[in-house]
Amino acid sequence: MTESVTEGLKEGLKGSRLAARDLTLAYEDRTVVDGLDLAVPDGEVTIVIGPNACGKSTLLRALGRLLKPARGTVLLDGEDLARIPTRAIAQSLGLLPQTPVAPEAITVADLVARGRQPHQRWWQQWSEADERAVADAMARTDTTALAERSVDELSGGQRQRVWIAMALAQETDLLLLDEPTTYLDISHQVEVLDLVRRLNRERGRTVVAVLHDLNQAARYADHLVAMKAGRIVAQGRPADIVTADLVREVFGLHAVVVPDPVTAGPLVIPGKPWEGEERAYVPEPGAAERA
Amino acid sequence: MSTAAARGPAAAPSARPAGYALVRAGRGSFLVHRRGTAVAAGLALLLAAACLAYLCIGKTYAEPGEVLKVLLGEPSREEVTVGTLRLPRMTVGLLVGLAFGAGGALIQTVARNPLASPDVIGITQGASALAVGAMTFGVTSYAALPYVSVAGGLLAAALVYVFAWRGGLHATRFVLIGIGFAVALRSVTHLFMTKGDYLVAQRAQVWMTGSLNGPGWDEAAPLAWALLALAPFLFWAARAQRTVTMDDDTATALGVRLNRVRGGLVLLGVVLASIATGAAGPVDFVALLAPQLARRMTRTAQIPLLSSALTGAVIVVVADLLGRKLLEPTQLPVGVLTAAVGAPYLIRLIIKGHSTRNSGGTA
Repeated sequence: MTESVTEGLKEGLKGSRLAARDLTLAYEDRTVVDGLDLAVPDGEVTIVIGPNACGKSTLLRALGRLLKPARGTVLLDGEDLARIPTRAIAQSLGLLPQTPVAPEAITVADLVARGRQPHQRWWQQWSEADERAVADAMARTDTTALAERSVDELSGGQRQRVWIAMALAQETDLLLLDEPTTYLDISHQVEVLDLVRRLNRERGRTVVAVLHDLNQAARYADHLVAMKAGRIVAQGRPADIVTADLVREVFGLHAVVVPDPVTAGPLVIPGKPWEGEERAYVPEPGAAERA
Repeated sequence: MSTAAARGPAAAPSARPAGYALVRAGRGSFLVHRRGTAVAAGLALLLAAACLAYLCIGKTYAEPGEVLKVLLGEPSREEVTVGTLRLPRMTVGLLVGLAFGAGGALIQTVARNPLASPDVIGITQGASALAVGAMTFGVTSYAALPYVSVAGGLLAAALVYVFAWRGGLHATRFVLIGIGFAVALRSVTHLFMTKGDYLVAQRAQVWMTGSLNGPGWDEAAPLAWALLALAPFLFWAARAQRTVTMDDDTATALGVRLNRVRGGLVLLGVVLASIATGAAGPVDFVALLAPQLARRMTRTAQIPLLSSALTGAVIVVVADLLGRKLLEPTQLPVGVLTAAVGAPYLIRLIIKGHSTRNSGGTA
């Protein structure tokens, strides 16, 4: 890539420190993402949605240099991600995988402190900045009280908050989250998403998250990206793009979109797939009492 | 800047992980695991005691006072028994134990599986196969064996790696293929032995069980130099171990050059285990046992390198002492004793392995 081309790209990506250009991603011979362009808006929460196996997690992995593109590039501050040392990337981009594995019997504070790795050297294992970042990350995720507990013995919701704390302790401007609400019950899901939003609103962190739940995505995204079969079908403000047509196109689902009674944003209500079906089984009256 | 004031009252809890002490030195700052350090110190004392006992006890009893005189180079009536016979043998045992313990710790850490120990997955078997081959074909010097062994160990590691690789390393597959190679390489060793003449075969047989009855200062010196040369790398490894205990994605996200770190740690582990094999034969199960015992003592999130090495040394020195004394005047090779303890432990690990959450992890 010549100097002028790089400059040109930088110019075109104003407002997007992280971007993908003509990105093709493949596992072995199976192409998962094909020729995708994406500019992640700085200082906003971008949420990627789509049906299972649409390539959304794969895209996130590539944005976080966990997967090497088969073709095209991911650009961080206008530079090809593949050319930046992984440690330097870790200083400006944090990533929480879908199912991270903690070392056995590690304590919460120890795990959160691992987030400081890219800022430490073997002769500088604990600085004032480390202390501050870890304390702050635990406070923001409400895990300070758990500091000395073993991660093994935490509940799913607590554990997820601890992992997010680790990613926060990394103190990166960009944060990628791969389905951060999986395995969590509804209250913990909301808790995690509220936390993500606060990070963005109060700290100006740019967040890219992959989510399963369309309504949660519509509620928490500034910028919504809808994917299907390795391509972006639509992207923009949820209020602008979430329509019954889009839901049908992306998920193959009949739905109506109504205003969310809480936020007035779009709320997707699935239609009645069983409409027109005859009821073949009618319970006898009084069957419930006898059982 | 007054950071203490900025943080408020002194009672404010520190975010520093529990169990670690902060040691500052100039611009440097180090997190020292309190319990881990205490355990290492305790093990060092235990090792010193075991070594003293080793030098005192034998066919004849030598007084500790006389032993100390010999160690300090003062004239003593136990000069020959302690200085010439027991001391070099103990030194080799000590160094071999350190190397097996550290080597086992490194490879088990990278594989995230205690079964992936160099003496289970064919590394020490590869080292001994090539060493016995060399003996059979005319290499008579014990001092040359470490080099041949390292080549054999590296070769075995490369073979296991190539056969276990399927676009990624899976821990269980890696261990199973390693066990297969261990058996195959043992057979290769026996094949070499039947090809060699009677005396060589006999010597190889003793060496193969893991024996300290033979090596002396000529073997201790190169072993000591090799370990000393590896020391700076071990310093690096102790810190790098921390970063490979997480899953691959998380480690990479934290800026760890995973392949490089893993490759370095495995290479170091293979070299350590092979050097030790070259000096004393494959003293079975020390590399498997020592790191597991050490970790249970330190209760650290990763296998402690220094404590594993010290535990390995204690095991070998004590096992050889027992081997000399137990069935006097017959001398049991040290490997027989370590196997007697290690084999049941290996079986226990395999049975337990099905229920532990790490058994299916990727290597």
